[in-house]
Amino acid sequence: MTTGKRIAFCIAALLVMAAPPLFLNAYWVDVLNSVGLYAILGLSLNLIVGSAGLFNLGHAAFYAIGAYTAAILNTTFHIPILWLLPLCAVTAGLFALVVARPIIHLRGDYLCIVTIGVGEIVRIALINNVFGLTGGANGIFGISRPTLFGHAIRKPDEFYWLIWSFAAITIFLFHRLENSRFGRALNYIRDDEVAAEGCGVNTAHYKLAAFIVGAAWAGMAGDIYAAKMTIIAPESFSFWESVLMFTLIILGGSGSIPGVLLGAFLIIGLPEVFREFANARMLIFGAAMVVMMIFRTQGILPARPRRYATPPDPSCKAEAEA
Amino acid sequence: MRKLHLGKLWMTAAALCLFSGTALSADTIKIGLMAPLTGSWASEGQEMKQVLELLAENLNAKGGVLGKQVVVVTEDDGGDPRTAALAAQRLATQDVPFSIGTYGSSVTEATQNIYNEAKIIQIANGSTAIRLTEKKLDNFFRTCPRDDEQAKVAVQTIEKLGYKNVAILHDNTTYAKGLAEEGKALIEKDGDKVVFFDALTPGERDYTAILTKLKEAKPDIVFFTGYYPEAGLLLRQKREMGWNVPFIGGDATNNPDLVKIAGQDAAEGFYFLSAPLPKDLPTEEAKAFLASFEKKYGAAPNSIYSVLAGDGFRVAIAAIEATKSTDFTKLADYLHKDLKNFPGLTGVISFDEKGDRVGEVYRVYKVNAEGAFILQN
Repeated sequence: MTTGKRIAFCIAALLVMAAPPLFLNAYWVDVLNSVGLYAILGLSLNLIVGSAGLFNLGHAAFYAIGAYTAAILNTTFHIPILWLLPLCAVTAGLFALVVARPIIHLRGDYLCIVTIGVGEIVRIALINNVFGLTGGANGIFGISRPTLFGHAIRKPDEFYWLIWSFAAITIFLFHRLENSRFGRALNYIRDDEVAAEGCGVNTAHYKLAAFIVGAAWAGMAGDIYAAKMTIIAPESFSFWESVLMFTLIILGGSGSIPGVLLGAFLIIGLPEVFREFANARMLIFGAAMVVMMIFRTQGILPARPRRYATPPDPSCKAEAEA
Repeated sequence: MRKLHLGKLWMTAAALCLFSGTALSADTIKIGLMAPLTGSWASEGQEMKQVLELLAENLNAKGGVLGKQVVVVTEDDGGDPRTAALAAQRLATQDVPFSIGTYGSSVTEATQNIYNEAKIIQIANGSTAIRLTEKKLDNFFRTCPRDDEQAKVAVQTIEKLGYKNVAILHDNTTYAKGLAEEGKALIEKDGDKVVFFDALTPGERDYTAILTKLKEAKPDIVFFTGYYPEAGLLLRQKREMGWNVPFIGGDATNNPDLVKIAGQDAAEGFYFLSAPLPKDLPTEEAKAFLASFEKKYGAAPNSIYSVLAGDGFRVAIAAIEATKSTDFTKLADYLHKDLKNFPGLTGVISFDEKGDRVGEVYRVYKVNAEGAFILQN
């Protein structure tokens, strides 16, 4: 795509995403809010799973840390919840640093198992009311509504703007990251770690950085989730949440931003579309999932290989002139 | 071919959606049900749905309410606050005057504001956390008791049995500790003595150390607020020590496995508190309802909470019938002020100004020599 086309595409996408609250009812707008939240979570996990190729099935832990940081500070010190966004990123990122530093050298399934363990430890610690802070199984309630420019955000429409603006920023930043030196290094590590190390890429450093950035972003998603629900409880951060985030990446196309967005729409949106089937809704959802994975194993919108325009060869030019 | 197949599948799915979407006609009264049909509480949710559908069926056979047929609109909350918020939003767009449910307290709390803003009356059936009604929302009611009522009934029972020196043992979980602290405050207020107050570590196999400490405190009765696995072990090891002190447990000890862990001899004489089991419901309405439930589904309901959901439904219908309308303010006023001693399946129902159920739901059970749970009066 040329730059002009790309800008036109971005504007079109923004216009399409701005339209729904105008004609959808509160329920469908709220479904889109959920989709947006999972799109943010999916993009944050995509950096770890898709770009760097590190299997992380414990992402809900970082999401939980962010949500609980926001909830605890908001309910005890009454700090406005949107101000806490950076702090949530810091706590989730620090936690990721502490947890991931000793295990970052693990490969594939081994890393996956440890992350599952971390996710469960965090969830159980929350249930057990660790340090008397997390409210145990009942969770934390009475989180205040977010305010933006003096306007309290409470209706689904208003959350739609908040969540999707954040999602748009996320998409932009992760897109820039993907096409940076950092993004290329992560892809190199994913495709061939030994070769990457041979070329002087500090693999442990880059893997750890990917983990921390992904976790910090999930922490911010947790802050938004806490603001939206005004109550958080450990069952919102179960192993199933990690699986959902993982599935939406694999389904949409690992390592591809449009793929992750599509995955979020399908994984979160389809069960709502299938609500009409009442008891059978998860069954139909599962069947649809199986069908898609049979017909398209690489994900629906897989990442395209990187393409770079070759600069004109000066020697050719010289020959032609001669 | 592949594309064609997928296309067909989507067409069928879309057609089914449309079909079931238009199946509901206008000349009906819709009652919403929000229940955990999937997730870890699915068995509760499925039973809640069965109960409400049976009640609606029986009601429609008798001509419905205000000459209209009643339709139960069920939404799955998945036992998860996020899914529940969506389920509530969806019910809010479907023109239901009432929403019955749901089970978990944090799940219910995530939906309270949505219903409040949409002017829909919510009647919860299993959410016992105190704070839900302390917000004094004008649209929130519940047919289940509150957590603090359990302590009250426990202390009353202990006093009725004539015990003065009480030992309280909990396991440091939020629920058990809360119950223990409530109980302690009530006992001390009434002038009796708490001779022991401490926690055990759940999940261990040997509790003789804490039992020895307990014995030194010389209590007349031990009130254990934790869960059934520990209660079973405590009973067994207490018997092995040859110590003959009565035990009373909270509703988390209500599980047949208690008897399996303790053994029938050791479990005999153990008291515990629980909302009445469906088989012990006293009223005529309940007996008739249980008979028709068994006829339709082949077994009696397992959980009292699904029957409490049924009570929510019956109260909703009674309110519609009495006010002859589905107007929010009239219905809410009626439930707060005019509904008195309604003959529910689980006993008489009235609501106070906060929307809490008035009167005591908890009953005392005692384990008999065969290991069965017998309701005490």
